[in-house]
Amino acid sequence: MKNAFQRWLDGDIDLMEGISDAIPEHDHAREDIKERDRKIAREIDSRRETAILIARERKGLKRTYDVIAVICCVLVILVFMYIIAQLPLYGVENVRATTVAQRYIEHGLEETGAINIVSGMILDYRAFDTLGESHVLFTALICVMILLRVDSKNQRQGFEDYYATMSETYFASEKDTILKTIGIFLVPCIFIYGIYVLLNGQNSPGGGFSGGAIMGAAMIIFTSAFGFDRVDRFFTLKLQTYVTFVALSFYSFAKGYVFFTGANGLENHIPKGTPGAILSGGLILPLDVAVGLVVACTMFGFYSLFRRGQIGGTPGRLIS
Amino acid sequence: MMEWIRFWITAVLLVCGLVSFAAGVIGNCRFNYVMNRMHAGGVGDTQGLFLIVLSIAVSAGSIMDAAKLFLLVVFMWNTSPVSSHFLSQIEYYTNPKLFDHMGRL
Repeated sequence: MKNAFQRWLDGDIDLMEGISDAIPEHDHAREDIKERDRKIAREIDSRRETAILIARERKGLKRTYDVIAVICCVLVILVFMYIIAQLPLYGVENVRATTVAQRYIEHGLEETGAINIVSGMILDYRAFDTLGESHVLFTALICVMILLRVDSKNQRQGFEDYYATMSETYFASEKDTILKTIGIFLVPCIFIYGIYVLLNGQNSPGGGFSGGAIMGAAMIIFTSAFGFDRVDRFFTLKLQTYVTFVALSFYSFAKGYVFFTGANGLENHIPKGTPGAILSGGLILPLDVAVGLVVACTMFGFYSLFRRGQIGGTPGRLIS
Repeated sequence: MMEWIRFWITAVLLVCGLVSFAAGVIGNCRFNYVMNRMHAGGVGDTQGLFLIVLSIAVSAGSIMDAAKLFLLVVFMWNTSPVSSHFLSQIEYYTNPKLFDHMGRL
């Protein structure tokens, strides 16, 4: 049995315990008021600084901006007019301007392996252009996401209940029986048709952009019939990002390989296949699939962002 | 003889379909209330499309082509009423003066 002094030495009891509890509480109300006043003063200062900056900019820089804009416009107009003056006349036979088109028509089938000459052009001869177009779609999606995405950072403070109620009542209200019944029959047909158009891009009219657009439209119909909850189970922001990234990087690397070998006169090992079969046309089919995935993701991403301000997310709630 | 009959059936059906579409277009231009215009537009979407597809199927002459063409009819006859349904639903929910357009009940 130890006495109190030994127990204090061992650290079992704390003599200051009762005393430190008895210290009066911090005066929170007063501190809050002081903090609020400081915040208001800071806010006023920053607004005054901004106003001064804006006024200075209006005074001095606006004229500079105007002058620069006028100069840029005049330069662009001059460049365009010069180029138009250099163009060949319309209707006059011009060997230099038509050799490329003639070559596409005469040698397109044997050089690209695609029956559809348009596919052979946009995904083989001018694949770089199509790569740029896919990246334009990707960039547009990023811009829309920057502008319209709603998350905890940019929604108004103190309105969490409002957002939750709105998402529950508005976004979960797609319970229309007629649309559901039609959607059950229609969506699989549209999806299969989109995949058919996508995979037959080298043999028949169609290809990446049109097939991807049909698939995106099928997803939009499905969403408007059955609600966002069901789509959110598989189509999340992560999936969308991965699919777009993988498709675009696959496109870049595959086409980069072909351009590298072609420019250096090397043999490329991609078989052309027999024209008319599904697996033909060399790289055209995989590139079609890549472009179609990007287009479908972009279309559905636009729809989702414009409708509720996010892609994927927790079902039934706006806030992710 | 057979070709002659087929040509005339095709021509008559095609003209009937075009008349339906013309009725739809004239109605869309002349009516000024959404329900009436929807009604006029539906004539072209259902009857006109059906007649024109029928005439093309007769002139094509093979069963396979006719079946593919009638898929178009099935598609349009399924989707056109759904869009009309939503238009009328939105009109019903948002127009406070709905009953002014209904005439005598």
